[in-house]
Amino acid sequence: MAFRMGVGGGNTSSGMGVAEQSVSTFQELQRKKVYRYVIFKIDEKKKEVVVEKTGGPSESYDDFTASLPENDCRYAVFDFDFVTAENCQKSKIFFIAWSPSVARIRPKMLYATSKDRFRRELQGIHYEIQATDPTEMELEVLQERAN
Amino acid sequence: MSAVELTETYACTPSTERGRGILISGDSKSNTITYTNARSVIMMNLHNPLQVSVYGEHAYPATVARFSPNGEWVASADVSGTVRIWGTRNEFVLKKEFRVLSGRIDDLQWSPDGIRIVASGEAKGNSFVRAFMWDSGTNVGEFDGHSRRVLSCAYKPTRPFRIVTCGEDFLVNFYEGPPFRFKQSHRDHSNFVNCVRYSPDGSKFVTVSSDKKGIIFDGKTGEKIGELSSEGGHTGSIYAVSWSPDGKQVLTVSADKSAKVWDISEDNIGKVKKTLICSASGGVEDMLVGCLWLNDYLVTVSLGGTISIFSASDLDKAPRSFSGHMKNVSSLTIRRSNPRVLLSCSYDGLIVKWIQGIGYSGKLQRKENSQIKSLAAAEEEIVTSGFDNKIRRVSLHGDQCGDAEAIDIGSQPKDFSVALSSPELVLVSIDSGVVMLRGTKVVSTINLGFTVTASVVSSDGSEAIIGGQNGKLHIYSISGDTLVEEAVLEKHRGAISVIRYSPDFSMFASGDVNREAVVWDRASRDVKLKNMLYHTARINCLAWSPDSSRIATGSLDMCVIIYEIDQPVANRNTIKGAHLGGVYGLVFTDEYSLVSSGEDAFIRVWKITPP
Repeated sequence: MAFRMGVGGGNTSSGMGVAEQSVSTFQELQRKKVYRYVIFKIDEKKKEVVVEKTGGPSESYDDFTASLPENDCRYAVFDFDFVTAENCQKSKIFFIAWSPSVARIRPKMLYATSKDRFRRELQGIHYEIQATDPTEMELEVLQERAN
Repeated sequence: MSAVELTETYACTPSTERGRGILISGDSKSNTITYTNARSVIMMNLHNPLQVSVYGEHAYPATVARFSPNGEWVASADVSGTVRIWGTRNEFVLKKEFRVLSGRIDDLQWSPDGIRIVASGEAKGNSFVRAFMWDSGTNVGEFDGHSRRVLSCAYKPTRPFRIVTCGEDFLVNFYEGPPFRFKQSHRDHSNFVNCVRYSPDGSKFVTVSSDKKGIIFDGKTGEKIGELSSEGGHTGSIYAVSWSPDGKQVLTVSADKSAKVWDISEDNIGKVKKTLICSASGGVEDMLVGCLWLNDYLVTVSLGGTISIFSASDLDKAPRSFSGHMKNVSSLTIRRSNPRVLLSCSYDGLIVKWIQGIGYSGKLQRKENSQIKSLAAAEEEIVTSGFDNKIRRVSLHGDQCGDAEAIDIGSQPKDFSVALSSPELVLVSIDSGVVMLRGTKVVSTINLGFTVTASVVSSDGSEAIIGGQNGKLHIYSISGDTLVEEAVLEKHRGAISVIRYSPDFSMFASGDVNREAVVWDRASRDVKLKNMLYHTARINCLAWSPDSSRIATGSLDMCVIIYEIDQPVANRNTIKGAHLGGVYGLVFTDEYSLVSSGEDAFIRVWKITPP
């Protein structure tokens, strides 16, 4: 029995699917570490979640926050490197649902209802953050969550 | 990121109420006195009144606080009838909290071994007094005998233990125990009995009352043995009494504005040794409502909140007096010519001068004591706005206030600012517009068509920015007596609460009710620094450093956040819990010193260490 997932068809409550490319880009970040961050956008015409932008491993958190639009929603994945209290180098993947309060209601609803379905496709997320303004996704927030 | 530390604290005064005394207490080992104001319990060192620590954990206004006999714990009580016992060290860690009475607690005493506490006050029903074990809260006796509010209680400091209570039913009740049982009652007073205190050796206790008398009783049996002589006695209600450490003298304070030191002779007659009067204006605020004899210090508190410290060994020496605010300090300002002097004002009409490094410097004696909404200072005068629709200009020469010229503007002033370089121009915002004043004349009242919430005028008087209820900033240029609208800026998502120009006039900053602050470039009107969203409640005040390189915002969430203009907002400094109840006044006195004031009637000076 073939189990068709993702491409084209949708079983989200909003009818959005997840593009193959989104999942594979995420897997590249996770396994091969070719990207520092990936930003996803909902393409309403194609009715799926696609990759909008990726950032190289040398980019910083500030470059990432600068790539997020001020008044539109996005999904993002960020690979956060840090040193723990016991002095070991660790790396955790954060999923950020960026939904600024200044955005219009339509994108907020769209992104909120599609989030669950999309999130399930991305296996291997360590932490999830929902941010409604820049203060909620500050570097300090990530540092506090990661351990 | 640089660090911010607290360098000076100018404490509030004890909160007082006309017609009632207050009870202050102290710890003789550390020379600290403790008193309460609103929800805070303040511990002040008598050697150095700038050294103050505050306990702010009560959920209701605190009424009395007392150190335990070993000095390790403090038991403090509030109007809800709750007693909290906390440690004096280790950040005031809470030991226990008990709901003791069903109404406000007026007095609290520890037993000399620190195991039992007796609390008295007002209650619905009949439990006006309760004594309990300090660690478990179990009752140690039954206290009937009172039918009205019990104003004071005392625990005999030596064995055999006794408890004495006195109150508004004119009775002095005597209980033996533990477990404490009613023994006898005395009705020698003809008015409220305000305070009862045991001598340090437990041999006698004295009660003082609003009938101007003081009566001495035997400590063990509770029989009346003498009284304070009426010759040279008080001519007004006596509110509090305190024994000297040797038990031979008492200090009383009264509504007749004097404090008296009495010698208690062998046959238990008290004779006035000295009458202490604090030199003052002689008004109602000089009625003395609280006293304490701590080691060599005689501390008296007046209704206006002035604390005077006399020396017990040298009664003729003039006292050290200082005061402060009793209510929310809503405005804080400095005069450019002398930034070490701070002027603060609270809504009850009190303006206080403070000098950095020294502390309290004096109250500005105003000819009329109306309530003040906010204050601004120009070089030679201060301008205040009141709730009575009037703006007052008072000339200030040194410390003396001249006559106030009151200008009626027709409606409630919401916010006002003075053009610093041409101080005759004052712009006042009212509900739906602004009023321009030149000198003492209203030159124009302009209806702007939107609800105005904040306003500011530039120091040369050429430009004004008015903020509205909808979060829009309207920029006007001032030509003659009219305003010409130049631009409307939209960014804020809540009513604007404060707008300030930078001292170098190149920028201005605005804060709103939705916790956001924005810095704008004045010439281009572009946003210069945004995402200043780190407060969790409305922004109340805003201050620029004199070189325009940093900005501080104070909010209802009790925090002050300092941002550097040329650095990202992530490099901000946050002062958490600066003022219990919210920060209402902020001003920079120099590049790295920030002074803040708040709802708790405190003024704090902070130093920013440059990175």
